[in-house]
Amino acid sequence: MASFGWKRKVGEKVSKSAVQQFEAEAEKPEKDPKDEKVDWIHVIKRRREVLLEDCAAKSKRLKAEGEVLAEQGRHWEAVKKWDEAIQLTPDDPVLYEIKSQVLTILQEVFPAVKAAEMAVKLRPLWWEAWQTLGRAQINLGEVDLAVRSFQVAIHLCPSERSLWQEDLSWACRLQKQHSAAKEKSQQEEEAREQIVNAPEFSRDYDDFESDEVLAACVAVAERQTRYEEMKRTAVVVDADGNVTTRVTDAEGSEDTASSLSMEQFVKARGF
Amino acid sequence: MSTQYSILLKQEQAHDDAIWTAAWGKSEADNSETIITGSLDDTVKVWKWFDEKLELQWTMEGHQLGVVSVDISHNGAIAASSSLDAHIRLWDLESGKQIKSMDAGPVDAWTVAFSPDSKYIATGSHVGKVNIFNVESGKKEYSLDTRGKFILSIAYSPDGKYLASGAIDGIINIFDIATGKLLHTLEGHAMPIRSLTFSPDSQLLVTASDDGYIKIYDVQHANLAGTLSGHGSWVLSVAFSPDNTHFVSSSSDKSVKVWDASSRACINTFFDHQDQVWSVKYNSTGSNIISAGDDRAIHIYDCP
Repeated sequence: MASFGWKRKVGEKVSKSAVQQFEAEAEKPEKDPKDEKVDWIHVIKRRREVLLEDCAAKSKRLKAEGEVLAEQGRHWEAVKKWDEAIQLTPDDPVLYEIKSQVLTILQEVFPAVKAAEMAVKLRPLWWEAWQTLGRAQINLGEVDLAVRSFQVAIHLCPSERSLWQEDLSWACRLQKQHSAAKEKSQQEEEAREQIVNAPEFSRDYDDFESDEVLAACVAVAERQTRYEEMKRTAVVVDADGNVTTRVTDAEGSEDTASSLSMEQFVKARGF
Repeated sequence: MSTQYSILLKQEQAHDDAIWTAAWGKSEADNSETIITGSLDDTVKVWKWFDEKLELQWTMEGHQLGVVSVDISHNGAIAASSSLDAHIRLWDLESGKQIKSMDAGPVDAWTVAFSPDSKYIATGSHVGKVNIFNVESGKKEYSLDTRGKFILSIAYSPDGKYLASGAIDGIINIFDIATGKLLHTLEGHAMPIRSLTFSPDSQLLVTASDDGYIKIYDVQHANLAGTLSGHGSWVLSVAFSPDNTHFVSSSSDKSVKVWDASSRACINTFFDHQDQVWSVKYNSTGSNIISAGDDRAIHIYDCP
């Protein structure tokens, strides 16, 4: 008994020429499937694009346009493009990150920090966003926050040498400088306080010509000189992060300083 | 003994900033349980775990930058910590005082791990070398070279035979400690390996990676014994239970998962943290788990 099959069935009732014609036609699309298939897909794709360029695609286009503008140095125009893109895709961290970089170039320090903050909020495991945030924070003068941001970036990607060698060490140096300068101004303030409210002034002297009074005046004068000296020095933090104080423009101010302290000395005596 | 997994304690605001690392130790002297945590706030904190209560004992200051890794010696007397300031510090847990500070050189201190005899500390370096420091002298004794990339994670096998290191490019290296020879190089993951741990019988090695997978290796033959998925983001830490039956993992998807070591199934998920969970550890009996992370909280869980 013959086995069942479609081909046999077709052959039975349809004439041979008809079958041949049918097969020839059926083969046609198989022969050039590449062109036609691709064409079809392409047409469908393009039609969709034309009909509704969805938010993601439009945002992507705007982002690319902004990048081109930024490369040409047209920073403000780039920011405008990216702002439009952000309107369409507000959850894309990359847009905020690149915007922050360009805002930093434009010295728009606060918006730069804001943008970078959005980037790290949306993608907290992205070390580059933390690096951008740290750099923006330094420009704003928030050194402590920058040190923190760089540390987070390093913790996420410790093999990135630039983070260690450039960003973190730089921020740490600034941090040292800040704290040293703060300490110095505090010392200066204390020294000034000592001059204004010298302990020698708080007691009564019976004899203004006595040695006691003379000694008190000398003490006050000495303190005065020390204060002047302190004012003439500046805090310097060198490349290794060592803090030193150096005398600035020693020559010029020498005379005025000594005359000033003499004047003070005279004043103290008169008191 | 409880019959199911539950959260025992939440210590909110345990640090002033993100907690990056934690360790759980037991003192041989008085059997007391000690937890230490290291944070981005530059401090290492010592906590006493007693009667299901957590009590802050010491806040150890000295590191200039964030603390990346901590470990406790096996007798429970000394803690080691490494920081982004490139120093490894040793602390006396009894007094909370610093014993030693070792300059590891820039970028050369990441994970710290005590050897099973607690005489040495191993730490990875950026050039792919595992540096072994002598605890007593504080000096670098020798180093094992993986010829690879930045080493993020390090673990000693409990039997003291092997040392495993995980690199930022996903390569795992297993050394024979006695000979210092590199036994196996496994190309397990394509992304950074932030944590790895041996099973207590030293037969298995569990690795955690940024690719979201946990892999289990047969140490002796260097065969891949299993790949576990379940975390939705980077797997940041893994730890084996002392009874060899379970291990725990934590992830930047904010979850902590407990896995059955034989069936390789996730048997419990804790979703109690608000942010990335950087560290998980078992206590010495396996009855409790600690987790800590970016939300500055320490959580302690009960295990059946």
